[in-house]
Amino acid sequence: MTEKRRLLVIEDGHEYAEFARLFLGDVYEIEAAHSADSALALLDAHGADVLLVDLRFDRVAPEGLVGDVDETARRLFGGDRARALRHLQDQQGALVLGALRAKGHRQRAVFVHDFPSRRLENLRTLYGDVDAVASFDAAAIRAALSRSQRAAP
Amino acid sequence: MRSNPLAAVLALVVALVIASCGGPASDARDRDRDATTSRTTSAAAWQRALALWGERDVRAYAAWRAVDPVSPEGREAQRRLDDADTIYRSVISRLRAGEADAEASLAALPGALALAPIDPRLYLPLARALRDHQPPDLVRAAKYYLRFLASDPDDAEAEAAVREVRALDLSSSPETATSVRATVRAFDAARRSGTLALTPARAEGVPPAALVASGIAAGLALAAIGALLAALLRPRGSSLARASEASPELHPAITYLVGCLRHELLKHRIGAASDALAALVRGEATPQQRAFLHGRLFGGEPLLAAWEGHLRAFERALGPRVDLRRRDRSFRDAARAIAAIQRLEGPLARDPGAAVPDLARAHAKLRAFDRELARLAARLVRTRVDEILLREVVSEVQSEYSAGMVALDEVRIHAPSEPVDVEVFRVDLVLVLKNLVRNAILAVGRDPAPRRLAVDVSVDVEATGEEMVRIHVRDTSPETITADAIRERRADRGLGLVSAALARYDAAISVEPGDGEFAKAVTLRFFRALGDADNDNESALASAEREAA
Repeated sequence: MTEKRRLLVIEDGHEYAEFARLFLGDVYEIEAAHSADSALALLDAHGADVLLVDLRFDRVAPEGLVGDVDETARRLFGGDRARALRHLQDQQGALVLGALRAKGHRQRAVFVHDFPSRRLENLRTLYGDVDAVASFDAAAIRAALSRSQRAAP
Repeated sequence: MRSNPLAAVLALVVALVIASCGGPASDARDRDRDATTSRTTSAAAWQRALALWGERDVRAYAAWRAVDPVSPEGREAQRRLDDADTIYRSVISRLRAGEADAEASLAALPGALALAPIDPRLYLPLARALRDHQPPDLVRAAKYYLRFLASDPDDAEAEAAVREVRALDLSSSPETATSVRATVRAFDAARRSGTLALTPARAEGVPPAALVASGIAAGLALAAIGALLAALLRPRGSSLARASEASPELHPAITYLVGCLRHELLKHRIGAASDALAALVRGEATPQQRAFLHGRLFGGEPLLAAWEGHLRAFERALGPRVDLRRRDRSFRDAARAIAAIQRLEGPLARDPGAAVPDLARAHAKLRAFDRELARLAARLVRTRVDEILLREVVSEVQSEYSAGMVALDEVRIHAPSEPVDVEVFRVDLVLVLKNLVRNAILAVGRDPAPRRLAVDVSVDVEATGEEMVRIHVRDTSPETITADAIRERRADRGLGLVSAALARYDAAISVEPGDGEFAKAVTLRFFRALGDADNDNESALASAEREAA
């Protein structure tokens, strides 16, 4: 019997993990993390073959986010902390992935988000093996998780 | 002299008619009252003017003009009116010049409408320009004729306008044709009865009873006109797509609201249920998948309540300009699909075989709706930041009187060779840039030579994969200005206006120190609009199609 691959879901809620257990559980052993720190802890403890990453983390308190609200406010939003916080929450998945890459975790990462192609190219330039599917489509997610980097569209 | 009871009644009726219809005397009183208000409380007058503008009231222009021009609010009002007026007149000129595409000529109109109300005197020239353009845009022309008639029914050209609008072929728009017919009938009625002479000179020799009857008829007719015009001019909401076309100032709000609706309801509840539903349709759903489907569609907050919450958020943010419940077919259909799904909870439990096809149909409609919203959000206005745009801005500022007096030793303009788009309406971006360039030119003009100006663009990739476009306006003036002063609108010279415009586009402004060649740079930061959004959403669309199939 083939051993299941390990999938680490990173999200602020539970929807991705629930979906993954239901539709990908036959192929993957699922674990879930809700922040960059918990993802790093799980990766250090158990490792993972692939990552399924939510982009928007709007249910996480500011102190749990990757990224400095004040620095973001100053650099991008003319000092407006509210807009900076919203930005960090809306884009948190990409920043969490950046934090994991900085610690040497190079697994393939898949987002469920309809990124413009140019932005996906940017994410690949920044973070290597990254893919995205536009919606909760189990077949598409399964294909994206198992695709090798070279075969990514 | 004995008093005549009938004459007294007549005088009373005439007075009531004139008063109730807001005749010239009443208008004059209103104007006086407005002027007094604006002198004493310019802030309150400005708020009232903005409120009238928000309601698309034809009196908005007069209210803006009435704000004390010495006050800060009045200065902003006058400046915005002047900027908008330039655009309105330019649109009319372009139409008259016979540009091939009326749509192209009108492209700047929403930007002007977002800036300040239109001078009612321009309604008629605009209507005529649209009528006379080849090919004509008669429906739009009719609407501007109606606005003209509503703004000043007593204008000397009102009768000509009625004749002209009556002659338009509006067969392509029955709704507009109905509005026109109603207005024309109202004017005909007014001409037949209302103007009978509520003046003493014309009343001479007419039997008193007839005068009373005429007065009452005039009163009724004028009241009917008032009601009709009020009905015609009542702010009516439109579909989301039309509102986004007509009101670029709504784009950030629409984008945010659509994003919330798509993310929270259409993605996490409807989209997430797709695979389980597909398994159910195939007859292969496991108990867990059935439970998952049930949880997504019927667990937690009822779908209809969630939908209603989103609709109310749209209504709160966008106001009466948008009527999603009655005037947006896509939202109406989506509401029906949501209601259909909610009704199916019981039937699905009792007889899944019969209910599943209905559920699949409603689900497919919502997936198509999601796809449509994705397209709408992606289409919201983009502007290309290239050398053509930058040169146009600098050239236009240099053609102005004050800035044109400054002899610049060097103007350096540079933009990336690859296309760089930002999600900002072009008129707004031009307005913002013109203010910065004008400010820089006037500043260097106050200092000794050499006087240099540079406008250049840089693009940086963020850690999120997004790209930031920065437009730098550099000058050699040692005059200092701080970003805080701009944001708090302490800075004069239009920079406060810049700050307000940028806030609408999730952009920002900052002041950077000079690099040796230039004393400082005022920098605008925008998110880059990445790729061709219509195509970029094709994968999502294809996925939705597969599910619908």
